[in-house]
Amino acid sequence: MKARIASRAATAGFLTPGMALLAVFVVVPILLTAWISLHSGSLIMSYSEMPWVGLHNYAVIFQQPTFRTTLLNTFFYSLANLIIIVPLAVLLGIFLFQSTIRGRGVLRTLLFIPYMIPNVAIAIVWGYLYAPQYGPLNQILGWLHIPPQDWLASVHQAMFSLIILNVWQTLGYYVVLVVAGLTEIPRDYYEAAAIDGASWFQQQVHLTIPLLRRSLAFITVILTINTLQIFDPVYVLTQGGPIDATNVVAFNMYQNAFNFGHAGLASAMAMVLLAVVLLLSLAQLRLFKSI
Amino acid sequence: MHLSTSSKAVRAPQMRGKQRPSKAGRYLGQAAQYLALVVLACIMLFPFYWMVASSVKQPNELGAIPPIWWPANPTTAPYKTVFEVIPFARSLLNSVIVTVVSTAGILVTSIMAGYVFAKHNFPGKNILFVAVLATMMIPQFVMLIPLYRMMNSLGLVNTYPGLILPNLATGFGIFLMRQFIAGIPDELLEAARIDGASEWVVLRRVVVPLLRPASLALILFAFVFQWNNFLWPLTVVYSQDMSTVVLSLNSLRTYTSSVAFTNIVMAGAVIGILPSVILMLWIQKYFIEGISMTGIKA
Repeated sequence: MKARIASRAATAGFLTPGMALLAVFVVVPILLTAWISLHSGSLIMSYSEMPWVGLHNYAVIFQQPTFRTTLLNTFFYSLANLIIIVPLAVLLGIFLFQSTIRGRGVLRTLLFIPYMIPNVAIAIVWGYLYAPQYGPLNQILGWLHIPPQDWLASVHQAMFSLIILNVWQTLGYYVVLVVAGLTEIPRDYYEAAAIDGASWFQQQVHLTIPLLRRSLAFITVILTINTLQIFDPVYVLTQGGPIDATNVVAFNMYQNAFNFGHAGLASAMAMVLLAVVLLLSLAQLRLFKSI
Repeated sequence: MHLSTSSKAVRAPQMRGKQRPSKAGRYLGQAAQYLALVVLACIMLFPFYWMVASSVKQPNELGAIPPIWWPANPTTAPYKTVFEVIPFARSLLNSVIVTVVSTAGILVTSIMAGYVFAKHNFPGKNILFVAVLATMMIPQFVMLIPLYRMMNSLGLVNTYPGLILPNLATGFGIFLMRQFIAGIPDELLEAARIDGASEWVVLRRVVVPLLRPASLALILFAFVFQWNNFLWPLTVVYSQDMSTVVLSLNSLRTYTSSVAFTNIVMAGAVIGILPSVILMLWIQKYFIEGISMTGIKA
């Protein structure tokens, strides 16, 4: 009996620091953001002084062309990354896992390193790679007889430039997730398939891909959550420009809160994106379960 | 303890179907694979090469058209200048303080909570654990405004506690530790308890010593996340002397509007990424285990 009481105390004692910190710095702020989104006032006005405005902030942001643009841009960015990264990650994962050539480990490390490096440093470097005149990318294009591009300075290419940057930076992380999934597939399956005369290609299509379903579901959800939050490269490289071509929800929200002082509007934007993130993740998990 | 890693995994099937390809075909396949490997490696390395090469270029080489790929007279002067144009040494110190304290906090809170979720039972445990997992899905900027207001009302804007406090516990860390600790056999813990060890002693003397790989993985994740974090320092810091390295890199970029100063920015970037790269190369094995663990066994 005494031991049980001691154990109860230990349970509570061990749990309290982590739970209290998460409650104070994650759960309460989310609730407060929801609360602020229903009120108006400046960034530092005290909670009791903020007048209640109901859903007015939500009505206002959905009437703003800028907010609608940022929503579309964010969706586009996320979807484009998904379409490019998932197939590439599966392909490279299979390559790294199945190939027997030397140097695979080095490639895995090289793919993974950019994921661990400050986004800001990577954005700065890519800013110079993309520089239309003194950057090397246009020079390389020149060797291939492709005319120089404007990259980040172009309304049409800026978003694609950010997408390429993100693919380069994060692909390795998703490859590692694919490889982890591949290690879970029993080897016998392949042997059985080979005995039945399945070619290498057939094995990948009929065995690997279906058996990777759980990994693919996880990758899709994580990738969606990560890309919908894009902020750092936009802040560093484009500040949402040119002409809102790369303006995204997080950046627009940050500007509204900390540059324009519209705490209510910014909170409403944050809640909309939170809802999008949660709904999309749940929908994706459902979808993968039903396949 | 069993970990699922690519290194320990069953050897993968070879790249072939039922029929063995001819010898020439196999050589061709190998050559194609090496070619793919080299091309990919170049793509991954090129931005790093450009960063380092630009950091040692002379000012007149930086604006050359077409760009110069191999600096003729490499100079290390930019690595000195970067410490003169901004208080970069102070930024490095700030980053180290913030990163070390939050990483230590995350490690302690994660091990304690992870132990309870893995080995204790209490009413509502599953609901609480799901709530912890859910915090991982919440975008950082959803908390941004209330967190800033909180720090402002406590007078902690532009201070170390302001930078550190929101980052002392993470759902990810608790999840990672729970996954590892769940793999420790109950018999080990029971044996210690029968000998009269309190839960604190069980945790300290039995569990923690077995958590070396998990702790290294978590230290790396936490370190890299804190070192790289941009959004929160950008929000809560307003002066140069409280800037983290990442914030300083951002301000360096705006300082140097002329292409001739690019080498200074690049030198700063090289220094700024070094800790992450070194840590990554040093303990990447644990890192990848950590990802596999939380990624797949979810």
